[in-house]
Amino acid sequence: MGGETTILDRRSARHLLRRSGFGASERVVDRWLRFGLTRGQAADELVSFTPAGFKPGGRSLGELHNAWVKYLLKARSGLNEKLVLFWHDHFATSFGKVGDEILVGRQNQVLRKACRGNMIDLVKAVNRDPAMMIFLDTVKNSKTEPNENYGREMLELFTLGTVDLDGRRNYSDQKDPAAIARAFSGWGIDRTSGAPVFRDSRHDTQAAYPERGPKILFGADDASPQGYGGFGPGGASFADAGEGAQEIDRVTEIVFAHRDGDGVPTVARRTAKRLFEFFAYGAYRDAQGVDRGGFASPEPGSEERLAIDEVISRSGFATRWEVGALVREILVHDAFYAGLDDPARKSVKWPIDFAVTTLKTLGVKLMGRDSRVPGLGDRSVYTHLSNMGQVVLNPPSVFGWDWEGAWVGSQSLLARFGFARDVYTARSTGGMRPEKLVDSTLTDPGAIVDAVAELLGVREDLSAGERAALVGYLGAGPVNLLDPVTVDKKLRGLIGLVLQSPAYQLH
Amino acid sequence: MDRRRFLSRTGWLTAGALLGPGLFSRPLVRGALAAQGDRYLVSLVLDGGNDGLNTIVPMDDGDGSLRSDYEAARLGGTGGLRLAVDGPNPLLPLSVAGLAGRDPNTGAELGMHPGLAGIVPGVIEASGDPGFGGLHALWAAGKVAVVQGCGFPDYNLSHDEARRVFHTANPRGVSALATSGWLGRTLARPAAGFGATDVPGLNFRDAVAGEFRQHATAVAAARRLSDFTMPKDVSAYSSDNAAKLAAIEALYAAQSSRPGPWRELGDAGTATFRCMDVFPAASKLYLADRAAWSAGYDKMGLGTGRDLREVAKAIYARESGDERVQAFAFRVDNGGYDTHSDQGGADPAGQHWALHAELGASLKHFFDDLADMGSALDRRVTVLVWSEFSRRVRQNDSGTDHGSQGPMFVVGGGVNGGVVGNHPNIASSDLASDGNTRYRQGTHDFRSTDVRDVYGTLLVQWLGVPAAAVIDPATGMLRLDDGPPDERWTVANFDLRRAVDGAPLFAA
Repeated sequence: MGGETTILDRRSARHLLRRSGFGASERVVDRWLRFGLTRGQAADELVSFTPAGFKPGGRSLGELHNAWVKYLLKARSGLNEKLVLFWHDHFATSFGKVGDEILVGRQNQVLRKACRGNMIDLVKAVNRDPAMMIFLDTVKNSKTEPNENYGREMLELFTLGTVDLDGRRNYSDQKDPAAIARAFSGWGIDRTSGAPVFRDSRHDTQAAYPERGPKILFGADDASPQGYGGFGPGGASFADAGEGAQEIDRVTEIVFAHRDGDGVPTVARRTAKRLFEFFAYGAYRDAQGVDRGGFASPEPGSEERLAIDEVISRSGFATRWEVGALVREILVHDAFYAGLDDPARKSVKWPIDFAVTTLKTLGVKLMGRDSRVPGLGDRSVYTHLSNMGQVVLNPPSVFGWDWEGAWVGSQSLLARFGFARDVYTARSTGGMRPEKLVDSTLTDPGAIVDAVAELLGVREDLSAGERAALVGYLGAGPVNLLDPVTVDKKLRGLIGLVLQSPAYQLH
Repeated sequence: MDRRRFLSRTGWLTAGALLGPGLFSRPLVRGALAAQGDRYLVSLVLDGGNDGLNTIVPMDDGDGSLRSDYEAARLGGTGGLRLAVDGPNPLLPLSVAGLAGRDPNTGAELGMHPGLAGIVPGVIEASGDPGFGGLHALWAAGKVAVVQGCGFPDYNLSHDEARRVFHTANPRGVSALATSGWLGRTLARPAAGFGATDVPGLNFRDAVAGEFRQHATAVAAARRLSDFTMPKDVSAYSSDNAAKLAAIEALYAAQSSRPGPWRELGDAGTATFRCMDVFPAASKLYLADRAAWSAGYDKMGLGTGRDLREVAKAIYARESGDERVQAFAFRVDNGGYDTHSDQGGADPAGQHWALHAELGASLKHFFDDLADMGSALDRRVTVLVWSEFSRRVRQNDSGTDHGSQGPMFVVGGGVNGGVVGNHPNIASSDLASDGNTRYRQGTHDFRSTDVRDVYGTLLVQWLGVPAAAVIDPATGMLRLDDGPPDERWTVANFDLRRAVDGAPLFAA
């Protein structure tokens, strides 16, 4: 048990760096330990990044994707990029439908700049983001032909979720997406500049459509005569500041004022829950195999539910909506560190995290215009991540990626094995130099296994049996790491095995 | 079910020799029969919400007003989605020689979207082209049950939530059924005899699909059977391959008693290593023996046809006597049905046409391939075609928003082809306030088909699962709900029948 004043030890420091970024730099760890930093001080340092201005560019999805991956390898703030990935998954927008490299790149830049700021402002920015307006058909939505696509996903995925943490419905499935479609009617994109534009002539007004009723959200329907979100049966008007372009911002403010059955702002709890799932762990199946919910479904009274409410109250997120403050409270919370001591509270690495962390830790460069991993397969990092099931900037749907269990199917494992092979066989320019990664004076197979496991951050996670299997691979007797063939064959092979191991897929 | 056993594992390096031409060059030899009667099931999803109203379409009013209501909701002209009874690219009538293609409730004649005949301009155009005739040809041959009005109590317009209901067969959100799929529960029930790393199900996608999810046995996911290989180092170090494989297998095997994600990873890894022993060779065998059939699948587009070819490969290997192929349940996707805009009506260049053409041609070629394999295989494989919801009755300017009940297809030579269940009532006066058709049970004229009835009929009558096991309240694949009387499921529900003559869904 600890808190923000707990002084970091080496394991905790590495955990914090790995989970908030890509791999743990020993230089940073050493500095933190030397100065005796607390969880709170380290988290403050991480959260205080200046948002970068990077914008991925290219003439195809592959080029855009690889540009971002290359940036991830060198970005100053790993947390900045982790948060961009989080919001990219949250406001998932696929190049496959948008089809415009410039607009997709711009959206990525918007997320980078706004990722740790005020969440209401972030949602307002996404509402009028051109790539999003194409992706979820805001550009097709008009007063004569309403299109509910954006309104539905805004409620279900971007803000409230369909139900609150206790399973109570948050809004009228029938009425509220249609109401939001009215507010968003008239918004589109200026064809020459690609900028958002509002056209009054396409906007729905109450006078023109009296049969559609008043412009309200969260009013009563058949399923909930008392209405939703604590606004009462009459709901909340988004035309109370007049009709027109301002309605979409009113919609956003009303959504953030929505309260769940406990009177807590619904968006705050859902966002904290998802950030915990992202930074800490999702499902939690205890040592007896019993499903305890975890952050995937935090039951009332559970540690996870308490953690969610604690970080909201400590950060003031439910009133100030500052994402950075919320993330800071998560990064000092016991629940964030739980996986260090409880093997059930681990999380499956996202493929992008697996790939970038591996390349960074082992010093492997991406080569050529198509960013190839310079091993035997000599394939683009885009191909590798596509096989693993995660092409950034092209999520499979508006739901983003499925996390945790979905990353450990056979397809995903096979792709990780293939990536690991291309890394450990990267012998040419830009490749891995195992002799520089492991102390070549070591001769004891156990000590060599420990060194490689330490390098890749899994030493404490390997069971005795697993360690024995890896030692067995090196063979009995002393290993001569000064012999180039031994290094080229067995040390590379050992690094490959650890990259392919169950432990390395988790964090 | 007797547990099907793998041949003793001989290791990765010798697997190729074991599965060499000697074993597989024989003509089809039926392996030992499994208790499901050596039958196969393919779950094929039209992901995104297929517009059912433009898939099975009323061609006249019959004794009701279906066609008039359809024409009021689906417009002609630019952006219009109305499918015409005649003129260019007309609807394909379901009433053909020997088959009644009428809606049982209203008597309206029904037609099929013309794209479902599998016409891909410039690629599949004439008799003799692979897949030509598509789903309509399979229908005309009596191999398609069109199950109308499929849904669940109320409906849900969220892709995710509607998918979850279709996956779990659990519309009331009973927590015991919330994290497993209806097929997964079937594969994992103890009587099926599969262990934690056996592979009775294969999904041709990046991750295991929801209806296959469970925690007791492994379902493998890969895009292609040939992907089940362990990438190796340079040939100079090939002597090290066996040591590497032994070590990595040990690491995954070591997780079986660890908690949470460890065990899940361990089982997935071990199952994957088993698949490496079996499936690349299965793929090669098919490609060697059935090259011309294989080439046909390449004409269907990039998705469904090629995935069905993988199903055909697995079935072919198993039927060729490789008892290590346990898989009999498969999942295949056809994505892109979320047609909010630019859906296209009867235009061969439109989105919906392209999706339906790929679906229709792929299914036709798949069943032609199976029939050619012999051993009555085309009668031993059933494909269930489903989608998480249909779409809004009234179209928007060029597409359709999310909707409620829609048609499913049950396809195969073992099926008694025909119309099952009622078309939903699309009269504007009868729609819910959001413009969607209503789910109905009991004696209502427009009674819907509950998705659990479809699954139950498949489980009991196709896969031979005892009906009592299907609805066991504790462990059953489907829930015996204690909701309102309309939702109290009994064994009698699992007996969908052809409307015109009451024939069962499957031939004896």
